[in-house]
Amino acid sequence: MPEEFHVSSLVILCRKERAAEIAAALSAMDDMQVHGGVPEGKLVVTLETATEGEIVERLNQVQLISGVLAATLVFHQFEPAHSSEASTGGCRHGSLAS
Amino acid sequence: MDLSRRDLIRAQAAAAAAAAANVTLPTQAQNIPLGEELRLKWDKAPCRFCGTGCGVMVGVKDGRVVATHGDMRAEVNRGLNCVKGYFLSKIMYGSDRLTQPLMRMRNGRFDKEGELQPVSWDQAFDTMAAHWKKVLREKGPEAVGMFGSGQWTLWEGYAASKLMRAGFRSNNLDPNARHCMASAAVTFIRTFGMDEPMGCYDDFENADAFVLWGSNMAEMHPILWTRITDRRLSAEHVRIHTLSTYEHRTSDLSDAAVIFRPGSDLAIMNYIANHIIRSGAVNREFVDRHVNFRMANTDIGYGLRPENVLEQRAQHANDAQVSHPSDFEAYARLVSNYTLDRAHELSGVPKTQLEALAKLYADPKTKVMSLWTMGFNQHVRGVWANHMIYNLHLLTGKIAEPGNSPFSLTGQPSACGTAREVGTFSHRLPADMQVANPEHRKHAEHLWKLPEGLLPGKVGYHAVEQDRMLKDGKLNAYWIMCNNNLQTAPNTSNETYPGYRNPLNLIVCSDPYPTVTAMAADIVLPTAMWVEKEGAYGNAERRTHFWHQLVNAPGDARSDLWQLMEFSKRFTTDEVWPAEILAKAPEYRGKTLFDVLFRNGQVDRFPLSDIAAGYENRESKALGFYVQKGLFEEYASFGRGHGHDLAPFDTYHEARGLRWPVVDGKETRWRYREGYDPYVEKGAGLQFYGNPDKRANIMGAPYEPPAESPDQEYDLWLVTGRVLEHWHSGSMTLRVPELYKAFPGAVLFMHPEDAQKRGLRRGQEVRIASRRGEIRSRVETRGRNKVPRGVVFVPFFDASQLINKVTLDATDPISKQTDYKKCAVKVVAAAVQAAPPQPSEPDARGGPR
Repeated sequence: MPEEFHVSSLVILCRKERAAEIAAALSAMDDMQVHGGVPEGKLVVTLETATEGEIVERLNQVQLISGVLAATLVFHQFEPAHSSEASTGGCRHGSLAS
Repeated sequence: MDLSRRDLIRAQAAAAAAAAANVTLPTQAQNIPLGEELRLKWDKAPCRFCGTGCGVMVGVKDGRVVATHGDMRAEVNRGLNCVKGYFLSKIMYGSDRLTQPLMRMRNGRFDKEGELQPVSWDQAFDTMAAHWKKVLREKGPEAVGMFGSGQWTLWEGYAASKLMRAGFRSNNLDPNARHCMASAAVTFIRTFGMDEPMGCYDDFENADAFVLWGSNMAEMHPILWTRITDRRLSAEHVRIHTLSTYEHRTSDLSDAAVIFRPGSDLAIMNYIANHIIRSGAVNREFVDRHVNFRMANTDIGYGLRPENVLEQRAQHANDAQVSHPSDFEAYARLVSNYTLDRAHELSGVPKTQLEALAKLYADPKTKVMSLWTMGFNQHVRGVWANHMIYNLHLLTGKIAEPGNSPFSLTGQPSACGTAREVGTFSHRLPADMQVANPEHRKHAEHLWKLPEGLLPGKVGYHAVEQDRMLKDGKLNAYWIMCNNNLQTAPNTSNETYPGYRNPLNLIVCSDPYPTVTAMAADIVLPTAMWVEKEGAYGNAERRTHFWHQLVNAPGDARSDLWQLMEFSKRFTTDEVWPAEILAKAPEYRGKTLFDVLFRNGQVDRFPLSDIAAGYENRESKALGFYVQKGLFEEYASFGRGHGHDLAPFDTYHEARGLRWPVVDGKETRWRYREGYDPYVEKGAGLQFYGNPDKRANIMGAPYEPPAESPDQEYDLWLVTGRVLEHWHSGSMTLRVPELYKAFPGAVLFMHPEDAQKRGLRRGQEVRIASRRGEIRSRVETRGRNKVPRGVVFVPFFDASQLINKVTLDATDPISKQTDYKKCAVKVVAAAVQAAPPQPSEPDARGGPR
């Protein structure tokens, strides 16, 4: 199977008073990045993995963190890992154009 | 991939999530290039799975669905997707997809004892038609039947209903939704005179408290759960109370997790009613103006076979549905038996928790949204449970306004739309009308342009009864569409499988995949699914939504709609209608059922040129007119002007769904309330206009125990249900590798002390046995579901562990819905010798042989 590169994003709802702590825990994972939403308790997180299966695994892990109320997916795009051109393949699951 | 491109995609992903969450990112403004979209064609569709009705965008490339994402413009989910919806694009591409009809053959001919072999559509339909005609001739309409689905599109259910009732003159049509929400549907009619919720999902943003009765929303309705948690986070005072028979993800995340003994929810609700009355919290003005009191017949049995001792012993097994006019005082006396002490004794719930719950309902300033699904509905007293929740909302007047909302969730994408609104239950016609009502039948005959007296008035066999009648040889021609009933029916080895293999019967199954049911059938018809056909669903909040056909089904697979309509061409009225009806209406003579049902000047009214440009529509092209539009418009004529108004067909291809009644182009969010619902008379304030006196019914009923409870030998409660990654029997989700990997095989969830007591270790293979059958599984003492002592939980998605061999075919005697949540089992190590194997076992899961 050719190597792939998956970018997805999640919205993670958590108890507000624990949002900063949870955001720090997520940031400590090397494939996660927290982009904002701490004041609202709605963390905007991106996830970069090599497979789709890891996305499901990560989602399950995140949902089991104490203080996390819900974690849902929004966006997904994957491309071949060793390519510099989008046109060589892959597809998008996410869009703002709709 | 170069780093800048990776950065760009990440920025896009973050921006999409921020927009969906309505969060402003502190970092730099995001710039979204749109050019890449040009390579995919995007269209809207509702999700194929649960009853929530999320909008998804479907990306097609080279005739294949390659991408899906949450639809930002869909009000239901606002761009979010749950894990099942996220991988929706893959459900159509399982490697074992059926692409041609299969028939049991031996020596080149149909033979029930033969092996399934590929045949043409004509061979399959000819064999079916010959059998149907023979059965109709020899035994009459009551010997043919069909088991349909809350996953059928609106027009598929509608066409099936016409073919069965008006064509074959049989009401032996029932949807799998019977197993799912019959109790809810029946109680809506009994209480309000009209089906489906008065409120809608907008209640999520208006309630102060959420009470989840037996519902694991975080896993089963994740997007709606997200809306609840969003509300919880944005308003400090909001609280979530979750009642369940075991701890799960939702109870973990709630403010209060209330764990009760199976079946004792009835006692808890009657206690709350008692508390409301005793604390003076009854809204007297509301009750006086808008409510009637009635008392239900009690001791009503368990919907088992009539010869079962439990039915023989029950006083009102045969008139379970009857209730009698009563008054407030009698109702107050009934519930006064349910003191805090008694509710605590019956349920095992701590008194502090019971009181806290009662106070939520009693406090006039707290807007309460009650939510439920299978916990109430799959219950031998499911109708009573539904009544009791309405009782609480009606006593306090907390109903039919933003945030005050008893809300029945559904499990299938069109349980409301197809099963209920279109009328595919054995007792129903379109728009809440009933087959037993002569006026309703006459109205349907008129709208369908059919001879008077054609429609049968006898209520047909319901789901569980169909299985029993197949086994007993009374139902002999049977078509299963869009469901996997051999896996999902209760007590399946004893009551379902024998009927499929009964030599008198021809069993036909239409499905996209070789499910357990398909593999046990005599003829298997390959079916187009989801966006392989034009469709419409109705979700839990009365939202009707449409989609276009976006790709072609593989091989010879064809939609259920095409199958039903094409099959109708093989029958003439002279073959299937009584001579006396044709004598009075000779103009119908010599016509095919297709002519009289579908080429009736109404269904065939819209030409192919009405189909939106750029979309394929296989059924319409094959049949010569825009079938979906014609069927929808004829169906809509039943409800327009009667509180069920639907918008014109084309509107739904534009809108992200609309909630009926749609009057003057406007949808209705809260029914029965003036200012929101155009059907309420001016100045009335509130009217439950489904009933002639415009009042709702409070129904008094007691706690009665389940059909079977643990005893010395079978010493554990068995509760069945679902897990997040899989939807129902797994026909679709098990074919998505990522979902299969996340939860590949069912396990037995058990309390660690119960395991220890039986000498069982986590991961050990065990036998789960009831009086009816047994399966093997593995013990799980940790994980997401934490059962209390005395209870075990097994999900039902796994065809290699058919837990429904173990369950009991007890139903609610009123709604006829099965109770999958309560029976008695024992669990022993697999090494111990079991009872001799059952003589008739369904085939294990596998491809066509």
